[in-house]
Amino acid sequence: MTSVSCRYFVGATGRRLDVDASLEHSEFLRLSHPELPNGLLRWPLKDLRALADQARTDQIVLSLRADTAIDSALIEEARLTVDDPQLIADIKMLCPELGKRDLPEGSGRKIVTRIGMAVGAIVLMIFVILPAMANTLAYIIPIKREVAYGKAVVRQMERFFGGSTAGELVCSTPEGDAALAKMVARLTATSPTDYELNVSVMRHEMVNAFAAPGGQIVFVDGLIQQATSPDEMAAVLAHEIGHVVSRDATRGALRAAGSAGLLSMVFGDFAGGTAAVVIAEYTLNASYTREAEAQADTFAHNMLEAANVSTIGMADFFGSLNGLEDEMPDLPIYLSSHPDTQERADLATEFAKGQGTTTPVLDDAEWNALKAICD
Amino acid sequence: MSEQLIGRYHGDKKTLFWLVMKTSFLTLITLGIYRFWAKTRIRKYLWSGTAAGQDSFEYTGTGLEKFLGFLVAIVVLAIYLGIVQMILLFFGLSLMADATTTAGQIAQIASIYISFFAVMPLIFFAQYRARRYKMARTRWRGIRFGMDSAAWGFVWRAIAHSFLTIITLGLMVPRQTFKLEKYMADRTWFGDAQFVQNGRWQSLYPGLKHIGIGFLILIAAGAVGVMLDVIGAAIFLVVVGYIWLIFGSVYYRIFALNYLTGNKLLNGQIGFYSGGQAGKVVGIAIKGTLLIALVGGVIGLVFAGVGAVLLNSVDFQKPSEFMGVIGGALGIIGFVAYIGFFLLLSALSFIWITQPIIGHVVENMSLSGAEHLDAIQQRSADAGADADGFADALDIGGAI
Repeated sequence: MTSVSCRYFVGATGRRLDVDASLEHSEFLRLSHPELPNGLLRWPLKDLRALADQARTDQIVLSLRADTAIDSALIEEARLTVDDPQLIADIKMLCPELGKRDLPEGSGRKIVTRIGMAVGAIVLMIFVILPAMANTLAYIIPIKREVAYGKAVVRQMERFFGGSTAGELVCSTPEGDAALAKMVARLTATSPTDYELNVSVMRHEMVNAFAAPGGQIVFVDGLIQQATSPDEMAAVLAHEIGHVVSRDATRGALRAAGSAGLLSMVFGDFAGGTAAVVIAEYTLNASYTREAEAQADTFAHNMLEAANVSTIGMADFFGSLNGLEDEMPDLPIYLSSHPDTQERADLATEFAKGQGTTTPVLDDAEWNALKAICD
Repeated sequence: MSEQLIGRYHGDKKTLFWLVMKTSFLTLITLGIYRFWAKTRIRKYLWSGTAAGQDSFEYTGTGLEKFLGFLVAIVVLAIYLGIVQMILLFFGLSLMADATTTAGQIAQIASIYISFFAVMPLIFFAQYRARRYKMARTRWRGIRFGMDSAAWGFVWRAIAHSFLTIITLGLMVPRQTFKLEKYMADRTWFGDAQFVQNGRWQSLYPGLKHIGIGFLILIAAGAVGVMLDVIGAAIFLVVVGYIWLIFGSVYYRIFALNYLTGNKLLNGQIGFYSGGQAGKVVGIAIKGTLLIALVGGVIGLVFAGVGAVLLNSVDFQKPSEFMGVIGGALGIIGFVAYIGFFLLLSALSFIWITQPIIGHVVENMSLSGAEHLDAIQQRSADAGADADGFADALDIGGAI
């Protein structure tokens, strides 16, 4: 077999040797040069490995499979560059494992342990450390600061509903305000809170109410229109006061800040990555709030009981909400931020059975005034 | 007589295009996990395309070690970032006064910037580590490059230089560029031979001339607008000024690269030369951008046309039970086409912008004193614990 000249790099030094290479019995690649040990090297063809993803198509770069990885892949330090087309073709034909990537022993175990550690650290952070820190910090924060933050959140919501200036969407009539104040006073007279509650109504058809940090409670007019009795609305109010008292919104914001950076880091920067982060975060926040919602319901039961308001209103309201949800496609339970509404209605009905005498929270005239607050 | 080696670039458009398309697709369907292997394969390609004289560079990094390094970085960063971010929001909330007053707004902005400063040391740390890893996994003539383990020294220097640059309104940029590059270059090795960065930072000032001209044009625009009240001319000058600034920043980068490369010395005997031209680089970028815009525009029009035809062919008056199925299928096809479109654009920017710029820079570099290369001995391998993991987790450095 004729031999051709190839560039050989020893690896141990920067020396380049122009060796004569030829195939020997289809088993070895024979390299000869006076400066090689004994003037000769035999590379077994089955151990030959070619470097991958090379830009140059006029040559191949060969190395030998090694038993231990020195700094990267499992190959020796020496390199042989072949640019003779005939020899390249012969080597490609005779070496079945030319493109094989050998993995160092124990790679699988290493991957599994490292993934375990990373997942463990993230789970520990998101479900144990961050919630615990959020709980502590939410109670350390001065109420005054919480109120300032809550007002900023309410303004943000107003912008979201389409109000361009602060207070533009806030509904107010003398009779409506008086009725609302009476409802708040009735509930808080028997269960006082640390917060100065600031309850307002916003003009929008969405059926919703929310508790921003610092005692800022907002009813959206759509919810007031949906309610069929003042007791229903009082139930929602008691529920939102429950959120205020346990500082759920502040806690949620702190937790979200901690986990948002974490999640975007894990998913990295690839097309569609942002969507993955948003979905993961939403699921996460939903699982936080499901627990908080159940607690706020329990708080509402007790608050209504203390104020002698029937929780039947609560059951009715959730019943009608359930009807609304039936018109929408079903969300899987873990994606829905509130517990199953029928279940909540049943709990309220059950609770009402144990209540003593109750009186409606507003009379008809007051209730009508409240319903007309946005007209 | 000193032996010279000229830089050569051998990459070709077609192979790189399909390599980028294939690896980004795999990255997408593996929810990002493949990105470590994608980055490795593209680096292998670019490195192997780059040669000094006859001999190509080799990138020896692996996707697996990057993935493992990323997992290590996750453990460290999960704890650091989670806790730091929450504490920052806590202080941010404490700072949050009424946002309707000016003082309140300043306090809010301040709380946002505090969180940026908390991550800054990590970003510089990751920058140095990423360069060190890249060096440790680069070989030429079988000999490894390498860098000393000195990331924290880089962190405080980088912070101090950035601070100095900011308070001098950018006048100290050349000092920052030079000193930071010198810090890294002086800690870089090729086998047992050490690099030394010579030269003076003041010599980088001429590189700022086009940025200066850009600023002067913007100032002139302001003068024309305010004093002479000629709005049309002022707008024209603002546009010219901004374009000049963009060109100026490319000019500065190429100028600095040429100066810093030309003043590096390996083992006291081997010298370098770099003669890239800012005009050529900007030309490549403009041509590439126009080509990509053209391709993107044509494909966008075809999509819109096909979509319109499909919508017209469906009879909305007579809903059939198949319509939901067809609509769903069309939605999926549309989504895939949309993602594919962005993969295509990123692959095109690789072959029409990134690769030609690398090619231009490499082909204008050379090395003198090549006869001393034979004496250089191999260096021992660097384990490279996190293998780019921090840089990846913190989103630094992009695809290569």
